[in-house]
Amino acid sequence: MAGDIRPDWWGKASAGVILGFGLALSLVGLYAYLGPGGIDAPGGRYSLMRYLEAFVWISVFSFCFLFRSGRSAWAWLGAANLIAFAALFACRFVFFA
Amino acid sequence: MIRADIVRLYKTVHTWTGITCGFSLFIAFYAGALTMFQEPIARWASPPSVGVAAVSLDNAPRLLELVAAAHPQARAEGIKLHLRGHENEPARVTWEEDEPHEPGQPHGHVHWWGTLNPDGKLLAKPEEPSELAEFINDIHMRVGIPRPWGSYFMGVISLLYGVALIAGVITLLPSLVKDFLELRVGKNLKRMWLDAHNVVGITALPFHIAIAITATALSLSSPLWSAQERVIFGGKQAILDDQENEPRRAPKPIGEAGVMMPPVQLLQKLKEQVPDLEPRFLVFKNFGDKAASVRVPGRERGYVGDYHLGGVMLSAVTGELLNDLTRPARQDPDRRAAETFYGLHAGHYEGATVTWAYFLLGLSGAWLFYSGNLLWIETRRKTARKGGEVEQSRSTRLLGSATVGVCLGCVAGISLTIVAAKWLHGRVDDLNHWHELIYYAVFLGSIAWAFASGAARSAVHLLWLCAAATVAIPLTTLTALLFPTLGMWAHGSIATIGVDVVAFVGALCFAWMAVATRRRITTGPADSIWSVRKADAATPPREPAAVAAE
Repeated sequence: MAGDIRPDWWGKASAGVILGFGLALSLVGLYAYLGPGGIDAPGGRYSLMRYLEAFVWISVFSFCFLFRSGRSAWAWLGAANLIAFAALFACRFVFFA
Repeated sequence: MIRADIVRLYKTVHTWTGITCGFSLFIAFYAGALTMFQEPIARWASPPSVGVAAVSLDNAPRLLELVAAAHPQARAEGIKLHLRGHENEPARVTWEEDEPHEPGQPHGHVHWWGTLNPDGKLLAKPEEPSELAEFINDIHMRVGIPRPWGSYFMGVISLLYGVALIAGVITLLPSLVKDFLELRVGKNLKRMWLDAHNVVGITALPFHIAIAITATALSLSSPLWSAQERVIFGGKQAILDDQENEPRRAPKPIGEAGVMMPPVQLLQKLKEQVPDLEPRFLVFKNFGDKAASVRVPGRERGYVGDYHLGGVMLSAVTGELLNDLTRPARQDPDRRAAETFYGLHAGHYEGATVTWAYFLLGLSGAWLFYSGNLLWIETRRKTARKGGEVEQSRSTRLLGSATVGVCLGCVAGISLTIVAAKWLHGRVDDLNHWHELIYYAVFLGSIAWAFASGAARSAVHLLWLCAAATVAIPLTTLTALLFPTLGMWAHGSIATIGVDVVAFVGALCFAWMAVATRRRITTGPADSIWSVRKADAATPPREPAAVAAE
């Protein structure tokens, strides 16, 4: 049984805005490297990417209030960011350098 | 089942994101709804001109030759040959030339049009086209804040709007099955407004989701692209961008004279090679050169999206396709997806049905934000009441005034600036600048008036102002018809008459709202901000002008 959800407006909202943007950028970046055609795919890709980024950003920001507290929002989303950015930079600097 | 505490949480999220964004979104949606008819408005506002029909397509080669000979800069910049004959196309051909300027300084362009005199000689004139329709689009994109800050501001607003949308849906989910499409019309006005707010919001949800995502992406395009470039692409994006633009670049002139294919034959060639493209105009580059080319932007039947990026390029000598990589059927899948997103934002699909649907959805969206603010104010009153009637708190009174002033000020400002297109044409030097002045004067004046005389009173005044300003649009056309000496015009095309008809219907709606609001402020609950009774009884009037108007 989940405990009470604390409002923690500023803690959660800041996590949603900042880490939501980070997650948007890194996940969509992974699509740029791993999607069909890879990083050298025609330039339509980066035009499409801003829409995908907006989608991820809005989703993370919207649902970040479901975390139990501001602290847990920062912890979970921070961890997700770390993993996604690690994967992205691995693609950029190691696998597809 | 969603837990009650989560619903409460999201109700708060919905309220605060909604209140923060409501004003800007009202303006963006109202002006955005009008941009669905950007072209008819541009045609309505364009003064009578020589027109495209003055030179037949068969005579176009001669006109093009004369322009190319007399205006070498037009050869390089591109000569536009219009095909449709709309009122906002001043003549068969138009082009732009650089304004005189200091080297290295940013400069503007001078717009020219050209036609043939009866004796077959070239008549060319510089003339600035009406930018009224573009100005309304600017208001839509940046709520009147200069670029680039207006775009960034609206990007943040759009982001919060997306959050407000999802939070609103979560808030509504538990009671959705029970209450959905149940509009409780009756004594409880607040209940009825809430029901209406919910029905309008939920039925238009797919539209709102599409708009929230695309508006965030479009407004924040340049920061998002810089972030992508730095973090993801590491410099590659610029190279890809360059490759992407390659198909749009005209071949360089080779300096040898060539025989140009007449436009009629070029269009024939185009139809053979790309049957589904619907050309609106042709742009000739390096006319007269052996390597001259003609770019044909246009929508392609069967694809979402308009002509703003797609099209084909033909050789102006042979009519052969030079490339067609940017037309919808040949775009790479990512570009097609991106263009589809853009088309979803702009309503560029399925023709007139979707244009009208987007117009009405845009207006209903504007109403959604207006009603949302009013609901918050009423909820505040209910919470504060606890039994007897209460004084409205300062914050609710201010928010009420701001809502009325911003929303109705935007409506009246846009209507009056449209009207000015005909009245001020030929009477002022820089009409496009006047469009801005008039809009901002009415907008800011309305806000000042709303704060000075309170939400209730000013709502009635400003609604009448909206009705008057909007009915002035068809009345201006009527005046032009009755008094030709005034130097105004009344076009006869269905598109421009449509502008007048829609404005007339809109004015009737505003007048009806003014009557209803007046009834409410005189007979509604006295502790609402929508009442003048308590204010009149308890406090001496502070605003003599408002009392005089009562």
